Amino acid sequence: MGRSILISSILHTLLIMITALSLPFLAKKPINLPPIVSIELIQITDKTNIPFAPKAKKIIEKVKEKEKKLVSEQAPPKKVKKIKPESIPMPDDKVKKVEEIKEDKQNPEKIDDEIKQVSEFEKKELIDPNNIAALIDKAKVENAKTTNKKDKITQDQQRSVENIGLSLSEEDALKAQIFGCWSIPLGLPYNENLLVRIKLELNPDGTVSQSEILDHARMNKPGQGFYKVLAESALRAIKLCQPLRVPTTGYERWKELQLNFDAREMLEG
Amino acid sequence: MKKFFYLILIFVIPIKAFALIEVDITRGNLNPLPIAVSPLSIDDNSKKNFEKILKKKNIGSEISSVVENNLKISGLFNPLNKDAFLQAPEIANLKPRFEDWNLIKAQALITGKVNYVDEKLRVEFRLWDVLAGKEMMALAFTTVPNNWRRVGHIITDKVYERLTGEKGYFDTRIIYVAEEGPKTKRIKKLAIMDQDGANNKFLTLGNELVLTPRFNPTSQMVTYLSYFRNLPRVYLLDIETGMQEVVGDFPGMTFAPRFSPDGKKIIMSFAKDGNSDIYTMDLENRIVEKITNHPSIDTSPSYSPDGKYICFNSDRSGYQQIYVMKSDGSNVKRISFGKGLYGTPVWSPRGDLIAFTKLHKGKFYIGVMRTDGSGERLLTENYYQEAPSWSPNGRVLIFYRETKTNDKGEGFSAKLWSIDLTGYNERLVKTPVDASDPSWSSLLSN
Amino acid sequence: MKKLRIRNIDQGAIMKLNKILKNTLLLVAACIALSACATSKKSTGQMQGDVYTGKDTVEYLASGVPDRVFFATNESVLTTASRETLRKQAAWLRKNSDVTVVLEGHADERGTREYNLALGERRANAAKDYLMTYGISSDRISVLSYGKERPVDSGSNPLAWSKNRRSVTVKAN
Repeated sequence: MGRSILISSILHTLLIMITALSLPFLAKKPINLPPIVSIELIQITDKTNIPFAPKAKKIIEKVKEKEKKLVSEQAPPKKVKKIKPESIPMPDDKVKKVEEIKEDKQNPEKIDDEIKQVSEFEKKELIDPNNIAALIDKAKVENAKTTNKKDKITQDQQRSVENIGLSLSEEDALKAQIFGCWSIPLGLPYNENLLVRIKLELNPDGTVSQSEILDHARMNKPGQGFYKVLAESALRAIKLCQPLRVPTTGYERWKELQLNFDAREMLEG
Repeated sequence: MKKFFYLILIFVIPIKAFALIEVDITRGNLNPLPIAVSPLSIDDNSKKNFEKILKKKNIGSEISSVVENNLKISGLFNPLNKDAFLQAPEIANLKPRFEDWNLIKAQALITGKVNYVDEKLRVEFRLWDVLAGKEMMALAFTTVPNNWRRVGHIITDKVYERLTGEKGYFDTRIIYVAEEGPKTKRIKKLAIMDQDGANNKFLTLGNELVLTPRFNPTSQMVTYLSYFRNLPRVYLLDIETGMQEVVGDFPGMTFAPRFSPDGKKIIMSFAKDGNSDIYTMDLENRIVEKITNHPSIDTSPSYSPDGKYICFNSDRSGYQQIYVMKSDGSNVKRISFGKGLYGTPVWSPRGDLIAFTKLHKGKFYIGVMRTDGSGERLLTENYYQEAPSWSPNGRVLIFYRETKTNDKGEGFSAKLWSIDLTGYNERLVKTPVDASDPSWSSLLSN
Repeated sequence: MKKLRIRNIDQGAIMKLNKILKNTLLLVAACIALSACATSKKSTGQMQGDVYTGKDTVEYLASGVPDRVFFATNESVLTTASRETLRKQAAWLRKNSDVTVVLEGHADERGTREYNLALGERRANAAKDYLMTYGISSDRISVLSYGKERPVDSGSNPLAWSKNRRSVTVKAN
């Protein structure tokens, strides 16, 4: 009996000491927390495409030739875009803003995977004999359009260095709006490719004049029933969100827009 | 050098982006889909006829409330309040005014019509995409009037499948053990009910202890453990005829029965001389096969849906763990390696997951893992819960939960609960008395 | 800059609060530790390790012959006390050679139903094997497992569970 009391008291003192020692660390934690970053709050500025620093501009002039080559090689657009926020040199006060947005983005590890999967089902699509005919027709039209555009780009290139793409705040405003409209169907399989790409043609007021699911062939494939459901949910989101929160200026830039709906992150998490 | 590289990239991006701006939408809301279930319209003549047969004033709205309740239980839909509906059911069924439904924020709409045709119930229904302003589906059923609840379940299954991309689980039943009396002298009966708790029926009288009923693939037969004459043996019960027969009449206890996916065999444990092993019995020729041979406890066997593998519970490592083997008993592999004890493995109907009960640090969990043991996810934690059973589409698990008693040993109860595979939408499944050991049937309409 | 200063003031206040919180937490911890000691003492009277050693639920086959033995959690090993009880039962069975018995194996409620059925069977067989080594024919002993279905104590606490982990020798004729 005496022994057990001894053991008990030793253990208890030990316990109390551990508590006493470890408590301050526990208590400190809340203070060390970084300032709360509000991500939901988004302000739309007319122009946030940050002008290049003078030094950078010079370098750019020099590498222009090389860059042209790169374009023709068609670097995967996604990968490139993700690096954008980190790489732009900018005045100090804007650094914070960009960092905040960065947190919001998916982690870069996922990007490679995504691109792979996209190309995978593009292949499948082509193989599917039932849809080849339809695809060819569609492809013809699309090809014609895109070649047209490419010509334009090379002509305009030099003028519009600052005025291309959506700025971060513009993109985030649009994203935030669609996040709110999109009810992700909860019954989706969580380990499938859940990417739906939709191409939109927009009116200047942000209403949608035409929408097209880019991987349409997948809709009617056996075992891909969930894809149709997902695509429909994306279309509903777009309809629900109309008019889209597009920038007030530069209609030419965004009159065609591609939205990539990917539910995987949500359903896995 | 690195900076230089980035600068090149900067220059590339804008030009690419100009070709076609891409915006990634990686988030959305997981709110249930707002859906309007307009009461099925019915003409006066049909109404009168059905009132005579079914003693229900308006069978149209009764069926639609079955649908509404199912959609709500699924957790994936938010049926909107009928008071806000602007359009009358009979007009909505012909041509919905989508602006009206849009106004109350409905994204989908169900309309329909009920008729009395040749003493039968004829139901047609339509599913509408409110935002796109188009019809998504239109179907009609004819059946005997008494089947009206099933019509509601089948409509829900169709709507669920069209809007989620996977089969529903509403036209199903649940067999379970109904419990009454004090904990030390519990009276247990087999009972069966519809998935939503309606049409409850007791199948045994409670004279002997019964445990662990499980459906066969066609949901006509049930295998279970009965202590009839104090001999715990595996029995077979035909639900339609009420016929019972003993199948595991071995010189010892047989327990933990389950059907093979083709319904031709029963797999079970047989305990003799302090050792439990797994056996199968062919129901046609009554040939018995010994599957495991180990001086430890081997129990709770469950086949993979293709019948090629069996997962089971064994303490051959010293403690209860989950193992997988080929259906002939070869290639035994332990798959559970987390902290704690694991029991009651059940292979999902999709084949990709195994649901289980886990005991760790005095708490019980229901969880799922992949069939190789990776990706363990615990869905719910409680004082006591066990015996998960899968919905036929592999989306929902039903299990039972017991409460802790107080100092005087009072306050014991056992109830059925369901939870979505995601860990969301935990719900009490109402039963007339206490309940345990649930087993979900397959879809009856297939 | 302004924001920063405000946070500093807040930090000061939080630090003070933390000290108070820390002290109260220490007190609470000490209280809990002491009370834990008190409760564990109570139950040690009737349990050794987690095997039940009391006499509350025990019945007797004959004077001085207890009818049941108890087990540790998840175990089917007989303790010294259990073996003594079973030796008494064996002696009684030898004396009354016309008696047959059923050994009923039980488990506590803290396990899955099917595993507990097997565990109860294993416990009852452990008792049966011991009786057989003392010369009782296996023809006179049958085994029946109830798993966790028939507890003697409906409590949800370690003491109640220890009473329920048992093998009971019941006269069959």
